[in-house]
Amino acid sequence: MRGEKPWGAPLLSVVILVALLLVWHAATRATTGEAVVDAEYAALVGGAAASGGKTPFPGPMDVGVQLWQHLKDPFYDRGPNDKGIGLQLAYSIVRVLGGFLLAAVVAIPLGFLIGMSRTVYRAFDPFIQVLKPISPLAWMPLALYTIKDADTSAVFVIFICSLWPMLVNTAFGVGAVRQDWLNVARTLEVSRLRTAFLVILPAAAPTIMTGMRISVGIAWLVIVAAEMLIGGTGIGYFVWNEWNNLSIANIICAILFIGVIGMLLDTMLARAARLVSYRE
Amino acid sequence: MSLFRNPFNADTRLACACGRHASPAEHDRAQGLDAAQDRAVESAVMRALFPQDDLRRRFLRAVGSGTALAAVSSIFPLALAKEAFAQSTGPLEKQKLKVGFIPITCATPIIMAHPMGFYAKQGLDVEVVKTAGWALIRDKAMSGEYDAAHMLSPMPLAITLGAGTSGAVPWTMPAVENINGQAITLAMKHKDRRDPKDWKGFKLAVPFDYSMHNYLLRYYLAEHGIDPDTDVQIRSIPPPEMVANLRADNIDGFLAPDPVNQRAVYDGVGFIHILSKEIWDGHPCCAFAASKEFVTKMPNTYQALLKSIIEATAYAHDASHRKEIAAAIATPNYLNQPVTVLEQVLTGTYADGLGKVIKVPERIDFDPMPWPSFAVWILTQMKRWGQVKTDIDYQKIASEVFLATDAIRLMREAGMTPPTAKDKTFSVMGKPFDATKPDEYLASFKIRRT
Amino acid sequence: MSKPFLDIQALAKRYPQRDGNPGPPVFDEVSFGIERGQFVCVIGHSGCGKTTILNILAGIDHASEGVVIMDGREIDGPSLERGVVFQAHALLPWLTALQNVAFGVRSRWPEYNRDKVREHSVRYLEMVGLGHALDKKPSELSGGMKQRVGIARAFAIQPKMLLLDEPFGALDALTRGTIQDELRRIVRATQQTVFMITHDVDEAILLSDRILLMSTGPHARIAESVEIDLDPDRTRGSLHHDPRYYEIRNHLVDFLVDKAAHPKETIPS
Repeated sequence: MRGEKPWGAPLLSVVILVALLLVWHAATRATTGEAVVDAEYAALVGGAAASGGKTPFPGPMDVGVQLWQHLKDPFYDRGPNDKGIGLQLAYSIVRVLGGFLLAAVVAIPLGFLIGMSRTVYRAFDPFIQVLKPISPLAWMPLALYTIKDADTSAVFVIFICSLWPMLVNTAFGVGAVRQDWLNVARTLEVSRLRTAFLVILPAAAPTIMTGMRISVGIAWLVIVAAEMLIGGTGIGYFVWNEWNNLSIANIICAILFIGVIGMLLDTMLARAARLVSYRE
Repeated sequence: MSLFRNPFNADTRLACACGRHASPAEHDRAQGLDAAQDRAVESAVMRALFPQDDLRRRFLRAVGSGTALAAVSSIFPLALAKEAFAQSTGPLEKQKLKVGFIPITCATPIIMAHPMGFYAKQGLDVEVVKTAGWALIRDKAMSGEYDAAHMLSPMPLAITLGAGTSGAVPWTMPAVENINGQAITLAMKHKDRRDPKDWKGFKLAVPFDYSMHNYLLRYYLAEHGIDPDTDVQIRSIPPPEMVANLRADNIDGFLAPDPVNQRAVYDGVGFIHILSKEIWDGHPCCAFAASKEFVTKMPNTYQALLKSIIEATAYAHDASHRKEIAAAIATPNYLNQPVTVLEQVLTGTYADGLGKVIKVPERIDFDPMPWPSFAVWILTQMKRWGQVKTDIDYQKIASEVFLATDAIRLMREAGMTPPTAKDKTFSVMGKPFDATKPDEYLASFKIRRT
Repeated sequence: MSKPFLDIQALAKRYPQRDGNPGPPVFDEVSFGIERGQFVCVIGHSGCGKTTILNILAGIDHASEGVVIMDGREIDGPSLERGVVFQAHALLPWLTALQNVAFGVRSRWPEYNRDKVREHSVRYLEMVGLGHALDKKPSELSGGMKQRVGIARAFAIQPKMLLLDEPFGALDALTRGTIQDELRRIVRATQQTVFMITHDVDEAILLSDRILLMSTGPHARIAESVEIDLDPDRTRGSLHHDPRYYEIRNHLVDFLVDKAAHPKETIPS
């Protein structure tokens, strides 16, 4: 295409963002009318209630102010119930990585075994199908009941939810390795173990990485929900704490941070996936 | 009415015995603490035997104080009691403690004891941990992650009975956190629909099934002829979500702890229909609870913890401190609310959501005394609504869970005036409650599930 | 007569039908021998089981009946002694051309150090004319180049017997021609024993010492064995100038058109 500008797409993104912000701003412009109540009453209630309305959804300016507050000092620590956003995100990320890596260590070898043998696959399949769709919020009470420790329960819930995409994708990738390549290994008298590492693993690697990417996305999703249930630390707890205070602006900030971190995690894994990809 | 006054003096109207001191507390400080402690024990025993003031006085006039003392000693080992009482708290078994709380104003004493130094004063290093919900706080308390916790008054009873939990574990409630302090809030659209008889079909929310809120709401509705299980829908919703649900028209109203009610007014979402004080003035709400194991295995730590809570409660009881407390607990670390909302709750001067500023200083109050009759009332209501189906020994459970004697002693030490009566009589919505006749009380209701 | 180097006796293959009973054999009574250093082609229509025979020789498939004896020993499974060039090159796409060949070399001689492996692999890649494309991945190579890498890999392990399964089927005519010449050159230089399947009559005549003609299945068998005693220095360019070329060619084409449909007339090898 002649003259395709590399900055075309980013520019379009910025335009869309500005448009959305304008729409948001227009929709939430504070309609502070006249106070319909006496001054003493007005002093005791929020601005909107004083003029007979309900406290409105915050506009982009309000959110911007809150965002700046958080970014200014992200790592403060004023006690167990009040920590900076940077610390909360760090707690969440550590939990996610813990559960995710644990799941990878279990899912990939198990997926390998399942993918290599049709019998093993059929034996495990009913368990996988039944356990796969269970929501993390359903695992949580069970985990708290048996494990009792809230942090370990959160990591367990991450583990059990991010296990399935990696397991299924690994099994699929391993099972779908081209017979030709396996025949090459056979005719070269390559041992089963070496075949597994030198042929099957690299062949299935892109599919396995896709599974890992999906899993890390799910893990990040789950941790927010899990932390809202168990409280303590983490971005999920932060959302819950701000929810208590009905501070929608802070919740929007939290959502933005959650989205950004999720994007970063995905990008990291996408880079890793590119390293093992190949074109046929 | 102080524990200090000489109970064996027939003329004592429970004022300072020697007459030279303005208050019994001063008298005792002058006398020396030992004598005061002795008096306290005797006082408690006398009051246990003679709940009514004038009955006791008549007895003493009849037999004389020496005989009275001997008579009492014969049936109650006063010497032993005084000795046990005199034992000062020994070394703390555990200094670092975790106490869970839910971020509502009911937990004010537990929370404020942290920034205002009441825990530190007893040599305790307490971490107050904000918890996400009642079920979670119960689980963490039962698993031992929390040494003690803020709970709803019915919860220690429920845990001891095994209702709603996996197993029955003996639990205790040595102190009530607050009395009053709740309200029924309705959505703004119902401001002309305030007669409960018009509430058929309403969806109402309470924080938890085993809560005073649930029982008070049901009582209120039943008294107005509405069956809480068939005429309206009562749901459990976590307090922070109540305001949002009200705003979204998912519920028509709720009976919730503050600051949720005041917050609804602040955000223009609802109005306060009735304070819980007007349903039952002096009702208990939330409690400071600990497992029986904690109480028996770590008695010194338990006493120190209880003492700090009771002192904090005493401080909070004083109306002049309320504004200061509101500021201390409004930070994100604790309640995370605008200070004005908490001030309105704690001082009782508040906006009602319909344009009026109302002054009710005892909107919320702090009195740690866990009356056994409270427990019995709660048990009758649990049975009334089918939460407990077996027969219960009301008195036994009430006295084992609601630890009155501990509270009395520590209230005295904190400078509060502990009550005189052995138990408290009260009326709910005008109907008197007799704790000695729980089954008859239960049978007297038209709307019930048993 | 001494036993041939590769001795195939009464090979047959049948597949189970849908109802579980064994169906009629795709081919049976297939017997032939290949001498050391001989280049033998098999020609026949699709479905007569040529690839199956090759897979059986390669050891990745089993015959229902019959036996294959190479160098006095019955074969049992795949072996480095029988190198294979697959129909669709079967290069591992995440490895470069050099790494693909090295994969084979290392499997054959695990005791080789890295330099020796490299040197050996480079030699064979240069032999097929790919010395300049050592570090290219298969996706960066043309069809012909990929096939040449496959050939290099098969040759590099220096197998006793080379099996080629329609190696040039996917290539265009011009590329095919070039590679055919190269293959003939290498085979003659190394005295490699080769068994090849092909559809291309001209290719078979160019490359082989003997052509086996297979009838169609079911019950396919070796219908005829044709000796190719043309000029050993023949090339693709010079081939059609040989006076006997068309005689042989016509015979083969006649067979494919006509006799392939009548399997009953067989001439033992």
